[in-house]
Amino acid sequence: MDQVYKVAPQLLKFLSHLLGWLPWIGKPLAAFLGNPPAWLVMAVAIAIPILFVVAVFPGIFAYTTLVERKALGRIQNRIGPNRVGRWGILQPIADGVKLLTKEDIVPRRADKFVHFLAPVIAVIPSVLLFSVVPVGAGLVPVNLNIGILFAFAVSTASVLALFMGGWASRNKFSLLGAMRAVAQVVSYEVPMVLAAVAVVMVVGSLSTLRIAKAQSGGFLNVTNWFVFRPWGFVGFVLFSIGAMAESARTPFDIPEAESEIIAGYHTEYSGFKFALFQMGEYLASIAMAGITVTMFLGGYNGPGSGPGILGGLISMCWFFVKLAFMIAVNIWIRGTWPRVRVDQLMGFAWKVLLPMSIVNIIAVGFWHYLTIRPIAWLVTTLWLVVWFVVLSKLAATEKFAPRTYRYAS
Amino acid sequence: MDTIFWILSAITVIGAVLAISLRNLIHCVLSLILFFLGIAGHYFLLRADFLGAVQILIYIGAVAVLMLFAIMLTRHVTGDEGPREVLGGKWWAGMGTAIIIAGLLWAIVRKDALAQALPTGVAATSVAEIGKVLVTDWVVPFEAMAVLLTAALIGAVVIALEEIIRKR
Amino acid sequence: MSIPLGHYLMLSAFLFAIGLCGALSRKNAIIVLIGIEIMFNAGILNLVAFWHYKYFTTLTAQMFAIFAISIAAAESAVGLALVIAIYRFYRSVDVDEITSLKG
Repeated sequence: MDQVYKVAPQLLKFLSHLLGWLPWIGKPLAAFLGNPPAWLVMAVAIAIPILFVVAVFPGIFAYTTLVERKALGRIQNRIGPNRVGRWGILQPIADGVKLLTKEDIVPRRADKFVHFLAPVIAVIPSVLLFSVVPVGAGLVPVNLNIGILFAFAVSTASVLALFMGGWASRNKFSLLGAMRAVAQVVSYEVPMVLAAVAVVMVVGSLSTLRIAKAQSGGFLNVTNWFVFRPWGFVGFVLFSIGAMAESARTPFDIPEAESEIIAGYHTEYSGFKFALFQMGEYLASIAMAGITVTMFLGGYNGPGSGPGILGGLISMCWFFVKLAFMIAVNIWIRGTWPRVRVDQLMGFAWKVLLPMSIVNIIAVGFWHYLTIRPIAWLVTTLWLVVWFVVLSKLAATEKFAPRTYRYAS
Repeated sequence: MDTIFWILSAITVIGAVLAISLRNLIHCVLSLILFFLGIAGHYFLLRADFLGAVQILIYIGAVAVLMLFAIMLTRHVTGDEGPREVLGGKWWAGMGTAIIIAGLLWAIVRKDALAQALPTGVAATSVAEIGKVLVTDWVVPFEAMAVLLTAALIGAVVIALEEIIRKR
Repeated sequence: MSIPLGHYLMLSAFLFAIGLCGALSRKNAIIVLIGIEIMFNAGILNLVAFWHYKYFTTLTAQMFAIFAISIAAAESAVGLALVIAIYRFYRSVDVDEITSLKG
């Protein structure tokens, strides 16, 4: 956020006026804040994006857990939590208090240092991912030239936390669960990154701000979204599937499902460390939803967004609406689809998604070099559809009998 | 900016020293990860942004995980031994030699004009240039690298799978 | 930034020496591979330091570094696969015990 370097001195001046009336320290404090030294301005300018990320996104995480439980409840024909406060509004606070005050059990022969470090390493990449997501026109916490590359580099570091959690617990079943989780995450990273490469090829830059800016314009700022292009639609589907598998959400939630090998890599964690694992997973899925919105759904673009203060506020609203939509789709899929078996999972990643993502990159090549737009649309769509049909026929290994339905009489 | 250099160097050197001297292998790999992070920080400080991101992506994301898997698959029953006895156990001999060599290096470097050069305003290289160069001037090494990586992938899988093939 | 090039050269020399010491003085084959990785990284750091101070108008050093990192990753993958295969046969990864070329 380059604007913070202009906002920081004004904020300090405002604070100096506000605090100037305090009895003894008011006047010197006002003088200090009114003419701030350079390091103070820089410190405040750095602190503003950090506070924004730390205040907004964990709040979204807390209420996502509540919305998820109520939505899953409604899908399963029951009401979700509604005891703690009207409509269960205070439920996340109750959950937080419960997990904080639970006893922290560490197995006797566990490796204490690694056992302690694993939840920390689970959370750090998820929070770092938020630093490259643009929440409004020109409003990204850190404006990196290599934004998307940084996001993927950081998300591969979360693999370590899975392995460390499973290893340090000295539990054979934890280790097996951790190995399966690592295999799943590492397999789905590849089609996810290749789907993002398609977008980067079209925009010509790895910076998330430029990717979002490239989707502005068009009718009502909507028709330029990449999801409305053939390669963009396929890329969107591939990236969403990869993002769901990265953060271990159903239908890929083998690492953390209750009916799988105990609880996988976080079996031996209780209390606050377990809360950190959950927070890392949910924050990763929200951050990946944010990156999906940036790359495919137009980022902060929507009717009325643009430069200037009012346009900036409208663009922030549009970003959060789209983020909420992606989170809602995630929750909906969690409530309705069954879990994938682990060999089906690996087969799907390597036999279907990876070839499809390479085909998508070639489609972007066609799109770029066929300059007559209708021909480009036709060729690209045909190419993608043909390859999709071929891959699904090749990868379908089990033949199912036609379904018979039995209804309750 | 200078203090950042010293802090990053301290992290890197401590990570490397711990990586070769801890008794528990997993702790060794964790301090190796700290070492990789320090080197990535040095790359960012030297304005090689793409290289720093690639360092994190490949070394911490892939090589470190590979080492953890290899450690897990080759566990002893009895646990790990520490460092071997070198120089008949007289560690002060090795330390003295290291200090003498470091002093000699310092004396050479202090007077050399090349080594005392200061940088003159380097802008970060853009990834677009690297991409363009990879497919125009450097396309042959790029394709050779692709073949090498494919061969390494297939070879590693075949070597590690040998047991299952033999049992049939 | 007022760090002369010599500091970077000394740093990479230190790291190379630490990696070499680790590769030579431990019994476990995996720590030997860790030492080799440290040596690789020290060398590439040296290269990038020279690029920053003298040759930053061309991209040759960055290309070299990218290819070197890829080759190092491939080499460590194959090396670790070899260690796993050796463990299966000898039931140990102690470099002092892996003494025969048979098998």
